[in-house]
Amino acid sequence: MKFKDYYEILGLARSASADEIKQAYRKLARKFHPDVSKVADAEAKFKELGEAYAVLKDPEKRAAYDQMGSQWKSGQDFQPPPNWDAGFEFSGRDSAHGAGVDSSEFFEALFGRHGRTGQRGARTAKGEDHHAKVLIDLVDAYQGAQRSITLRMPVQDADGRVDLQERTLAVAIPKGIRAGQHLRLSGQGSSGFNGGPAGDLYLEIEFNPHPEFRVDGRDVLFDLPLAPWEAALGASIAALTPEGPVQLTIPPGSKAGRQLRLKGKGIPGTPPGDLYAVLGIVLPPANTDAERDSYRAMEMAFDFNPRANLTG
Amino acid sequence: MSQTNNVYLQGTVVEEHHMLTIGELCQACNAEPAHVHVWVIEGVLDPVGESPEAWRFVGESLRRARLAQRLSTDLEINPSGVALALDLLDEIAELKAQLRRTNL
Repeated sequence: MKFKDYYEILGLARSASADEIKQAYRKLARKFHPDVSKVADAEAKFKELGEAYAVLKDPEKRAAYDQMGSQWKSGQDFQPPPNWDAGFEFSGRDSAHGAGVDSSEFFEALFGRHGRTGQRGARTAKGEDHHAKVLIDLVDAYQGAQRSITLRMPVQDADGRVDLQERTLAVAIPKGIRAGQHLRLSGQGSSGFNGGPAGDLYLEIEFNPHPEFRVDGRDVLFDLPLAPWEAALGASIAALTPEGPVQLTIPPGSKAGRQLRLKGKGIPGTPPGDLYAVLGIVLPPANTDAERDSYRAMEMAFDFNPRANLTG
Repeated sequence: MSQTNNVYLQGTVVEEHHMLTIGELCQACNAEPAHVHVWVIEGVLDPVGESPEAWRFVGESLRRARLAQRLSTDLEINPSGVALALDLLDEIAELKAQLRRTNL
């Protein structure tokens, strides 16, 4: 196990006041919160911050942590000394702030892994709901799919201790589901308390990125490059959609950036989304004499000034 | 204990099929009813129905309420700050979607 220097994580001196700890945490949490941060490893970094704050904001935990002395350095091999926490009573043994049950080995060795205890007791209560993200392919939303999903879920035993257990669920992904939506699986969350019903499991759907198709809600878009003569004269072009090949009619005089709509060919549903081919025009390179002559012939044939609209 | 079923679990899509009560929303987000109450007042959530008992939240509220819950506990932001952050995050998401549509 590696030692974690919670002061270093928050960028603080060991003498920091409670207010300084709170300020440092808030500042860094805003920077690394996964919902608002663009930093690559924001999630890991944020968990670390939450754990450091959970210890340092709690006077008892902080005192116990401080008692281990300042000779330890981050990343150093570490075992908690025997009876290191003698004389300390960690009231309200909660899990790391904001980090759920996913706290580090170091944190758990010192402060234990604790679930929420509020709902235990004689009362009958529904088990906790759980959330997980699931990545599916765009084609799964068009056709529906069956997926095996492995989750690590906290399970609470009779003594209230929480342990992470792996569960594999076979889940039907319904046709027409979209990114950001939640699939609710009734009764697949935590077991209930004292005979109460089990909680639910919510799966938040995300699409794997696709090299060609972009998704916006129900709509799906793809780029369709055209030769200048196809755009100018019109053409019939074979294109591959998520549902298979189609023949697209390009109207004469098509401009780059124009979107051809294939109504109802987006993600299925009521109403279904639309599929858009975003037209682009690619200039053929002029490498040979014949090719260069073709461009010169065009120059002669057209009375065309692409900068007619510039007033400068 | 690992458990594998050969039967595929059938779920329902919250955004398509459900209107949530305040109790269901709190249970799903691990949020206090008092917090949901304040978020409604601040405009973070916009249920139909006159009284909290009669409130029904559209499925999309689940995402917003979870985000509000995370922002308020993790960042210790007050409800009006949460409302502002959600508005700005929505605006960013919309702008990103527009960029993606045009493939910029």
